[in-house]
Formats: sequence, C-alpha cells, structure tokens
Amino acid sequence: MTATASTASPVPATADVRPVDTTARGALLLQLTFALLWLLAGGTFALIHSIQLHTPLFFADFSWFTFGRVQAVMETSLLYGWVANAGFAASLWLLGRLGGAPARGVGLTVVATVFWNIGVALAVILLIAGNLTGNALVQLPLGSLPLLLISSAIAASSAVYAWADRRNRETYATQWYAALASFVLPWFLSVALTMLALAPDHGVAETVAATWTGQGLLLLWLAPLALAALYYLYPKATGREVPCYSLAKAGFWLLVVFGPWAGTRELVGGPFPAWIPALGVAASIVLLVHYAIIAVNLGPVIGQFFGRSNALRFGALSVFFYLVLGVAGLVCSLFPLVPWLQFTYVSEARTLLMILGVFAPAMFAAIYFLVPRATGKPWAAQGLITQHFRFWALGVLLIAVGFVGAGLQQSTLFFAPNIQFTQIDPTLKVWLLLTSAGLGLQLIGTVFLLVNLGYQIAPGASTLEGGNS
Amino acid sequence: MKNGALFFLGVFGAIALSWGGVVLASSHQISKIQPYYDTLESQFYPYKQAGIAAEGEQVYKSMGCAACHTQEVRRPGLGYDDLRGWGKRQSVARDYIYESTPPLGELRRGPDLTNFGPRAVKLGLDETHLLTQLYLGSAGMPPYRFLFERQKVIGEPLSTALPINAGPGYQIIPSYHAKALVAYLLSLKQDYVYPEAQPLEPAKEGTN
Amino acid sequence: MSQNPSNNPRQEAAAQTDDALLSKYVPAGEKGAVRGSGLPGAISVLFSFLLCFAGIYLDRYAGDFSAKVYNENSRAYAASAVPAAPKAFDMVAYGKKQFMSACVNCHQATGLGVPGVYPPLAGSDIAQGDEQHLIRIVLFGLTGPVTVKGVTFPGVVQMPAFGEVPGGGYKWTDKQIAAVLTFVRQEWGNKAPAVAEATVTQIRKSVNRDKPWTIPELMKVK
Repeated sequence: MTATASTASPVPATADVRPVDTTARGALLLQLTFALLWLLAGGTFALIHSIQLHTPLFFADFSWFTFGRVQAVMETSLLYGWVANAGFAASLWLLGRLGGAPARGVGLTVVATVFWNIGVALAVILLIAGNLTGNALVQLPLGSLPLLLISSAIAASSAVYAWADRRNRETYATQWYAALASFVLPWFLSVALTMLALAPDHGVAETVAATWTGQGLLLLWLAPLALAALYYLYPKATGREVPCYSLAKAGFWLLVVFGPWAGTRELVGGPFPAWIPALGVAASIVLLVHYAIIAVNLGPVIGQFFGRSNALRFGALSVFFYLVLGVAGLVCSLFPLVPWLQFTYVSEARTLLMILGVFAPAMFAAIYFLVPRATGKPWAAQGLITQHFRFWALGVLLIAVGFVGAGLQQSTLFFAPNIQFTQIDPTLKVWLLLTSAGLGLQLIGTVFLLVNLGYQIAPGASTLEGGNS
Repeated sequence: MKNGALFFLGVFGAIALSWGGVVLASSHQISKIQPYYDTLESQFYPYKQAGIAAEGEQVYKSMGCAACHTQEVRRPGLGYDDLRGWGKRQSVARDYIYESTPPLGELRRGPDLTNFGPRAVKLGLDETHLLTQLYLGSAGMPPYRFLFERQKVIGEPLSTALPINAGPGYQIIPSYHAKALVAYLLSLKQDYVYPEAQPLEPAKEGTN
Repeated sequence: MSQNPSNNPRQEAAAQTDDALLSKYVPAGEKGAVRGSGLPGAISVLFSFLLCFAGIYLDRYAGDFSAKVYNENSRAYAASAVPAAPKAFDMVAYGKKQFMSACVNCHQATGLGVPGVYPPLAGSDIAQGDEQHLIRIVLFGLTGPVTVKGVTFPGVVQMPAFGEVPGGGYKWTDKQIAAVLTFVRQEWGNKAPAVAEATVTQIRKSVNRDKPWTIPELMKVK
C-alpha cells in the first residue's frame, strides 16, 4: 500500500520506500497512541500540580491527590508513559529507516509495549495509593519495577534487530543516539530495581544512587532520543548538510563518557562528602563541549522556528531548550548561584522543561514526519498542526517564564529571614498562574494532535504524494 | 562507527565506569560511617527514630511531604539556612545513617524541617497546636483533613479532640496517622555537632 | 536547498531520501569519507580548556575525595585557618555529669550533703585525702559511722557501690569513677590532685570484695 503513491509524484515512489514503514506500522501506531494518551494524563496531572502551587486548596480533601503524590504521578506518567512510549516508537522507526531492513520481532515489540504500559499504569496506581519511593525521577514502586524492566528489555530488542540488520555497516549520528537510549533504559531500570527498590543502601548513599539513576535517565535516555530525531530530521527535511558533521561523533562520546558523572551536581551543598557534587560539576563543565557541538551541528534548526515545516519548527523549539537547559544544569550548581537557585522553582522547572521543552517537541517533529509515511496518508488537518505548534510553543514559554519568575522571587524573599513562608507564597501567585496557563495550552495542543492521529489511524487508502521518502 | 560490538562495549564501559565511580564509591564511603560516640555524654549520635515517630516518618513519605519541605541544612554562608534558624551547622551523611531513603527534598515551598523539633519547642508549639495547624492548613499549606475524623460528641468531648469549633455536637479527632506524623515532626533534630559538620572558620575574610 | 516542489506540509515532504542522506555522512566503502572525527579547531581548544578547568575544579573543591570533608572550600581554609578544634576530653566536665546523674541525690549540688544523714564532700578530709581510700569507697560503697569536719554521721543509710558487686552496683566504668572523683576533689574549693583512670583500673583488679567498706577497715589499707 505504501507504493501506491499518486501518479503526479516527482520522485518515483518505489525508489525509496523504506520497509520499516510497512512492517512496523502497527507497533509504531500503538506506541504513539499510548504515548499521547500518557502525555494527556501526565499533562493533566502537571496542570493539577501547577494549580496546587498557587491554589493549595485544589483537591486538598483527597488523600490520593496530595501535592507530593500528584508530583510523583505526573513525573511517572510523563517520563515512563510519554517519554518511554514515544521513545520506543522513535527509535524503532529511525533505526529501521536508516538501517533499511524490514523490522523484525514486531510481535514481540507489541507485546512488550502492552506490558510496559500495564507496568506504568500499575506504578501510577501504587503511587496514588501512597507508595512513594521518594526518589526523584525514579518514582517507580517496587511492585511495578520487574514488569517494567522486563518489558523495556524486550522492547529494546527491536532496536537491536534494526541495528544488527542495517544494510550499511557505517552508522549515522541518529543511530548512535537511538541505540544508546534503547540500551540505557533497561540498564538503569535494573539499577533502580536492585539498588533502590530491593536492597536500598542506607542513608544518603541511596540518594546518590537515585540521583545518578534519575539524572542519568534524563541525560542518557531522554536527551539522546530527542537528538536522534533531530539529527535525522534536519538534513532530511531541509536537504541541507549538518554543519561540521565530523564533530558529531565527539559530541556523542562526550555525552556518553561525561554525562553519567554529571548527575550528582544536583547534590551540591547537601549532606554528601564534597567530592560527590564536585565530580558532577566538573563533568558538567566538560559536558559544555557536547552542547557546543550540538549548537554547531543542529543550531541552524533554530532558524526554522518561523518556517513552514511542522517538523522543523518543533525541532527548533527542542534544540533551543536543549542548549539552554544544558547550560542551566551547570549554572544551577555553581557555588555563587547555589544559594539563589537551589530548592527554588528555577531548579525545579528544569525536569519539566526537559520533558515538555526538549523531548516533546523533538518527538512531535518526528511524529509529524513519520506517521504519514507509516500510514500512507497525509495529516488530515494542517490547521490543527499549526495550532498545536502555537499552543505548545507558547505553553513552554509560559511555563519557563512562570517558574523562573517565581523562583527568582522566592530566592530574594528567602534571604530575608523576617519574611515568613506564609507571606512568600501569595506573592508568587501571578508567576505560577502563568505556568498553569502554559500547561493548559499544552493540554489543548495535545488534544489537537490526538484528533489528527485518530484520522491517521482510521482506515483509508494511501494518498501520499511523492512516495514515502 | 561501524563495529557494533565495539560501540556497545564503549557505551557500556563508559557508563559502568561512572556507576563505579559515583554510586559504588560513595556507597562504600558512606556505608562505613558509624554512629558517633560522645565520651562526654556517654551517648551515641544520631538517635534512631523509634515507636510512633518511626511510623510518622512513613506517613511523611507516603503523603509526599518532601515535595514541599526539605530536610537538609546547608552550611552557614551557603544560603540563608542559618539566618532562618533552620540549623547552625550543615547536615552531614552521619545524620541519616539510620534512614532508608532519607526525605531530603528538592523544593522549599515550605520551611526546612531538619530541626523542627527544637524549633517547635522554642515557638511553644505543642502536639495540639501542630495537629490543629495540620487540620486547618495555612496560607501556603493545604489542610490535611483526611487525617482527621469528625465525630458526634457522645457524652463528654474526647480529650484528644482538637480545640476547634466543629459545629454543635461534633468534635474533630486526629487519626493515628496524624498523631504519628506530628510525633515524627517533633522528633526531628540535628543538633549534635559532629567533627565533620563543624563549620570551618576562616582566619581572614575572603580567603577562598 | 532542494525543496520538494510539491511540498505539502500535511505530509512533511522529504528533501532527500534516506540513502542520499546516509551517503553524505556515512561512506559506503571501507574508507570513510567523513574521517577526522577529531575535534577541529575551536572545539578542541574549548575541550582542552574545559578539561583543564574541570581538573582544577576537582583539585580545589573535591576535598581530596575524603568522606569527612563537606565544605568544598576546605582546601582554601586549610592553609589559612584552623578547622574548629575537635572537642577535647574534659575530665572535670565529664565528672560533673556523672556527679549530677547520681551523687547529687545525697551529697547535693552544693557538695554539703544533708546534716545528720549524708556527709559533706566540700572541704572533707576524706574527699581530699588518700585516693586509695576514696576509690575503694566509690567502688564498693561505705557503711557505718563516719566523721567529717568534726561531725560524726551515724551512717544508717549506706553509700551504694558504683563498681560491680554481686547482685548490684552502678557498674560505672573506670573512666566514670576517675572523672567523678577528680570533679569532687577540685570542686567547691576542694584542692586535691586528679585521680587517674589507671589507678581505678588497678584497684578494681586487685581488690576482691563483696560488701561495703567501713572506716576502720579502710584505715588498715595502706
């Protein structure tokens, strides 16, 4: 069906039909549907969470919806629901496309995806019931971890197949990052299962392990998935070359070698021997080179923010926030700024922005590009796509401005010991309302995408122009 | 890069190295820390949470209190922690050796609770005060009414009833969880100064 | 830039095929077209600079990777300042704590005792006298009449044993006993030399007794 492109096509349709589009279609659409449903759920929890910031009475009468539990559920459904599912799909498709071979083991992937989502749902239920682990970013109760670990390992098998079956032995940057991400998720989950859930170290040693795992997932799983998509989409959609591509390999290995050391920078000033956070800061300093290389390679995408291509304008948003957050990660841990930024909303916002500002736009870019190729149909409504972009971009901006404003306000007031916390809170309200508005806009944007995706999934003949290249 | 095995070996090696260098090394160092014996006071520090306070810690974690309250004091000079009276010395690893997943927290929406016990005593806040505050909430903190029960008064009001007007013929009774939580909060303190927690005193200003 | 002429944003037209894309970056043959994976120019300067900087950062702020350093500036302080001295062991203060935990009940915080029942320690010849006697009294207790500062106490209420005796005793350590005696001998204007922990250890080892001393018995001890 993929080969039945319209006759007006300027490119011969059969010239570049990638087998992955047809063989992996079912798995891709399933994963993307799960991903978007989780994004909707996680976005809703993020909105509740944000409303509770400026209106503490919101849902205060339900023990399932205490601020702490909503935060854990929000983090889990966004990271392990949205990021994981979208990541499965993106790496399956990108590795398959660049490998050029039909996808293998799709049935297994589908089963693994279903069980993964059962696992995430289980985790969310356990969290709502109060089984908080207390480990930021790894809020996965013991009951859900074995299932998640096994299904993530099986889901990674499709990436292994695609990597092994590749027709061209040499590999492209997208393949490195996608393979890295597929590898890191099961590995870090096994660390979470053994070192955090089953046999937790006592005292703050467990905090170090949890920080290494959680920050490692952000740096070596979430970010690489975004980079994989961006490295593919930029040259693919513009036809331009990636500037100074020879640097890409160094950029990748810098992230792999120094990234996992960088996480402990978050522990600065805490009850840890000084070398632990110092190592994190030192690694983050070297990691700046990685961000510089990404800026050289993918920086031009930012210029496409006002362009017409859906993939590229989402990509622009993603690259921009990736670079900003890369530098912010170091800045928030430098001693002159620690007293001002630590424990404030500025520091807190970074995780949310990594998911909603870096990862999500990169995945939207990939989704807008890959789904028509998998289904053989163009998107039903360009209007919805444009609105999705506008809502999302404005939303991220509002979230960032709201949290940074509230955080800076907080820190100035913290330094005045006579000002009580009960007095600080009301002054932040205006800023935090912006954040809620941003999250609300993004929820609407997600609905737009879901509507469009619904049309894509609905049966119908292929009407793609110009083949599936 | 075309050698897949080499690629995966490289990735594996790099990440395993950092796992050893960060997770294993710190675990090795931290797990060796023993309670500190003060010969003068013939006493080991820190104290172990026991009884109802230990149960309160579970309530604290389960409610996700750590989402808004930290339990780590930074040293004087690094921030405002000592100015706000949260602690005169920084928290160190030894303070937490008895805890599993210490609720250090990441955001200060509310005050730090590391030394809440002594602070409450100083402010004259007793169990009843704190339970009442938990029930009523405050400007920034939501009320936790589901930890209390509104009961009909049968005969005399119970002695545990909160001093709150709960409507004619009714009283507000704290649940066991609420009492455990407050007992935990009142037990929180890091007032013993370990040698490694001693603030360093520069001889001259601006030596760093 | 080779935009697809029929660029329909609803399907995100591709500007090049995957094979074309790969061929640019990924050489088909054995010899790579994109070699030189080294760091060109500015980036390698940046890398070397930041690597040095990170090394210096670790050297200065990692506290020599010690488990006991929490202040990352300890290196800077170490040269110019003293880390606040660790609390030295204060025998008298430790002794006072022991005194306040037990002795104070009878001998009182003033060291004056209770007239007619508990003899005073302040200004007492026994308290400031032979440490051999004193240690024995504290280890095993004292019973019977005792004369202090010219007043005779009948000794109806006997002094308990602070060492270990069959079926009782406070089971204090040698250090506790040495400290409390040192405190008693130097408080309230008393002026007698400190009692060493070793002396207590020695007496505890050499004396085998299961009942309190009396003054006449003690006087025989030399």
